[in-house]
Amino acid sequence: MVSPQEHSAEWMTAYLDAELDPEQVETYEAFLADSPQARAELEDLRKMLSLVGGLAQAAAPEDFYEKLHRRIRRKDALSLDSSWLTLMTLPFQALSILVILAIAVLYMMAQLDQPGELQREAAPPSAQP
Amino acid sequence: MTRAAGTEAPLAEQAANADAAEPSRDPAEDERDTAEDERDRRDLRDRRLLRRMRTGDARAFEELVRVYQDRIFGLTFRMMGNRQEAEDLAQEIFMTVHRAIASYRGDGRFYTWLYRIATNTCKNRIKYLKGRNFHRSVPVDEDAETDRGDATQGLSSRIAGPEAMTVGNRLEAAIAQELSALDPEHRLLIVLRDVQGLSYHEIIKITGLQEGTLKSRLHRARLALKDRLQAHLG
Repeated sequence: MVSPQEHSAEWMTAYLDAELDPEQVETYEAFLADSPQARAELEDLRKMLSLVGGLAQAAAPEDFYEKLHRRIRRKDALSLDSSWLTLMTLPFQALSILVILAIAVLYMMAQLDQPGELQREAAPPSAQP
Repeated sequence: MTRAAGTEAPLAEQAANADAAEPSRDPAEDERDTAEDERDRRDLRDRRLLRRMRTGDARAFEELVRVYQDRIFGLTFRMMGNRQEAEDLAQEIFMTVHRAIASYRGDGRFYTWLYRIATNTCKNRIKYLKGRNFHRSVPVDEDAETDRGDATQGLSSRIAGPEAMTVGNRLEAAIAQELSALDPEHRLLIVLRDVQGLSYHEIIKITGLQEGTLKSRLHRARLALKDRLQAHLG
């Protein structure tokens, strides 16, 4: 780690969290001795951390697992329902596609059966005088 | 009269001699070793539970939830500042775990995988709620701070007497309020490190930050919270 003068934030955080090795602690304490501003900031941060550290460890409600279990079961049941729905509607979906295809084919055949239409399409455009 | 060493000397004396013979150990080092042992025990327990889950043991998931529900709820509660929202989110996190457990390869620690899911879910929910002005309309859940029963012990328990307890509760609510007003990235680091006490190594694994970035961001987060709590620092 570079000197405390250059990276004061990193050093201070590591010092507060006891993450410096003994040699680094010595270096940082020497820096603190020369910097009243850093000392004051460190003191304020210590007080703040003491307050935050005293925050209650919130505990989950007693029936947390039971509620979770119900939610998972509900979700599983819903996904099962939706798979059943997909299976049930699948033949109808296939039938709909077949009907649409049949209508399209019949329509095309009806168009082909009209000779006038074909001739009109086949005839070259008349030359302009 | 002389005694044959190690044969007639009382046990306490032998222990004292043994202590004197050992080089003095750094207490911080001892603490780190204990924490490491604790982590190893936790990993072993998690691996066993995961193995049972993969073999279809439904009770294993229940055990896993009961082991981690307080920590995950604690994280979501401090991140969201609202008990109802926190409970809903914690359940969503465990539902994701339930769904994704089959694809979990078990390369790293289960604990950090779970926390990664939890932090991502929290961030996404905060982003979603921000668009709906959730934090403007819903204040920090003060009831939850004051009406916990004996499930939790915080600042209020440090101060004796009923009046002082109310002061403690108010202080705790104020801290929670200021914490919830922080930028979500800053809030997350404060919650992981200063509220839940995770190590730098664990936070790095969870957030994917570099160590230097983590330290400087944590410093900025602490400064921001310190400024907000200035009135209470006295």
